[in-house]
Amino acid sequence: MSALRSTSRLFAASKPLFRPAVFARTYATVDPVAQVSATGHATTSVTPESKTSTVQEPTPSEQPRIKKFQVYRWNPDTPSEKPQMQTYELDLNKTGPMMLDALIRIKNEIDPTLTFRRSCREGICGSCAMNIDGVNTLACLCRIPTDTAKDSRIYPLPHTYVVKDLVPDLTYFYKQYKSIKPYLQRDTPTEDGLEYRQSPEERKKLDGLYECILCACCSTSCPSYWWNSEEYLGPAILMQSYRWMADSRDEKTAERKAALDNSMSVYRCHTILNCSRTCPKGLNPARAIAEIKKMMAAH
Amino acid sequence: MASIARQSPLLRQSCLSAFRAPWASKNVAGVSQVVAFHASANKQILPPLPQSIQGTMNDPAPIPHSHPVHGSYHWTFERLVSASLVPLCIAPFAAGSVSPVMDAVICSAIVVHSHIGFDASITDYFPVRRVPKTAAFMKWLLRAFTLGTAVGLYEFETNDVGVTEAIRRVWKA
Amino acid sequence: MARLSGLQREVLSLYRRCLREIRKKPIETRQKFKIYARTEFQRHVEMSKKDFNAIEYLLRKGHRQLETYSSPEIRNIR
Repeated sequence: MSALRSTSRLFAASKPLFRPAVFARTYATVDPVAQVSATGHATTSVTPESKTSTVQEPTPSEQPRIKKFQVYRWNPDTPSEKPQMQTYELDLNKTGPMMLDALIRIKNEIDPTLTFRRSCREGICGSCAMNIDGVNTLACLCRIPTDTAKDSRIYPLPHTYVVKDLVPDLTYFYKQYKSIKPYLQRDTPTEDGLEYRQSPEERKKLDGLYECILCACCSTSCPSYWWNSEEYLGPAILMQSYRWMADSRDEKTAERKAALDNSMSVYRCHTILNCSRTCPKGLNPARAIAEIKKMMAAH
Repeated sequence: MASIARQSPLLRQSCLSAFRAPWASKNVAGVSQVVAFHASANKQILPPLPQSIQGTMNDPAPIPHSHPVHGSYHWTFERLVSASLVPLCIAPFAAGSVSPVMDAVICSAIVVHSHIGFDASITDYFPVRRVPKTAAFMKWLLRAFTLGTAVGLYEFETNDVGVTEAIRRVWKA
Repeated sequence: MARLSGLQREVLSLYRRCLREIRKKPIETRQKFKIYARTEFQRHVEMSKKDFNAIEYLLRKGHRQLETYSSPEIRNIR
């Protein structure tokens, strides 16, 4: 698994060119001849932190390591303006190790209009999912590459409707999640009327499934999901679907299988395996989908 | 799919910089520079529809009409055909004998296999709700092609030497 | 009248839906809702009709706003 992911980093850099240039969707693209307003978004005057904070700045290191971050910007208040890439420069010596640290620092010190979701900053909430250097990942789990010669490029999740800057609209993703009934369905009570018990073996089946935080990194990296997101459920949702099918306490497995039994919901998966390669939590949605297919074939 | 996307990083760098240069402009504030979003295509193959959300935010997405013929049976059948093609393609050459029955089985399996494969591609790349007419046209085109192939292979089997024998002759030639 | 494009019809149907939802509000605040909806549409009246992306975005936003405001708990608006 980890070996797979490290290779994906290697190839990651070549991805963004391919993706937008060939199958670009309108909301994330720009007419190349469109002129850019020189003012951009950073027109709001900001009081630098050195004037507001009483904390002494750490002494600047002799050799600042300046890295450039190119960030996708789009302002919904001026919808007729095209999206653009804005470059920010940060000294890595003063920045935390993760991409989210850099983004927060940009927002605090350089440009407060930069918008992104973040909450837990430790890979548990799944808010800060974005496309960093061509790989869908959580900004809080992605180290800043220390190579200062190369710019880091940060985009919102690919093939999503953008709400603002790096914030994608995940409404439909959550609606799809709701459609698989992600909760325990059971009619018969236990004999002693206490909780529904599981053996350690049965519990073990859920490992690698329940850890999913629904950050949508895998779904938005799946080409099948790009083309057919209205009907195909996508790896994240299918993995959760399997999580409830595999649960020994759930009694509606047959209904769950029947609901998936059409040409679109599951069978648009062509084992491209982008999902397993990109998952920031190291899970394997592709395996879960394969298990679903096996379950459905066996019935 | 993904392997096509991989290009050499060097190539990417060069075309990026070539792309970017004309629009690079310094910000007034000097803090950052704004660059036009480079990744644009003049011609979009399938521009997206406006997002349409049925029902309220809290309603689940509609579940498509389900039937195992389109779902699990179809998948199982497809896998069986694909798996059976491997021994079927080797068998006549390993056995060294040419029988018309074997030929017929191979031909029909190949026709069915390619029909299913192309059908999946059409479903993928011509979404019915996105381009309903093109999708229907492609489906009928595929059916016509499949029928044409089937008829052609039948003619070849009955009036000529047959597929296995033809391959053998070409191989020996 | 010239034939309207699909997008124009969608905008009009959104406005019609807004007006229909307003009818479900208490009678004394209806006028306020009406003014609000009108100003929201009026704000982008200058939008070029060829700027599809922007119009689609505004439609999305409009639908979401309509959904929020049409919940029965919201009885008044300023």
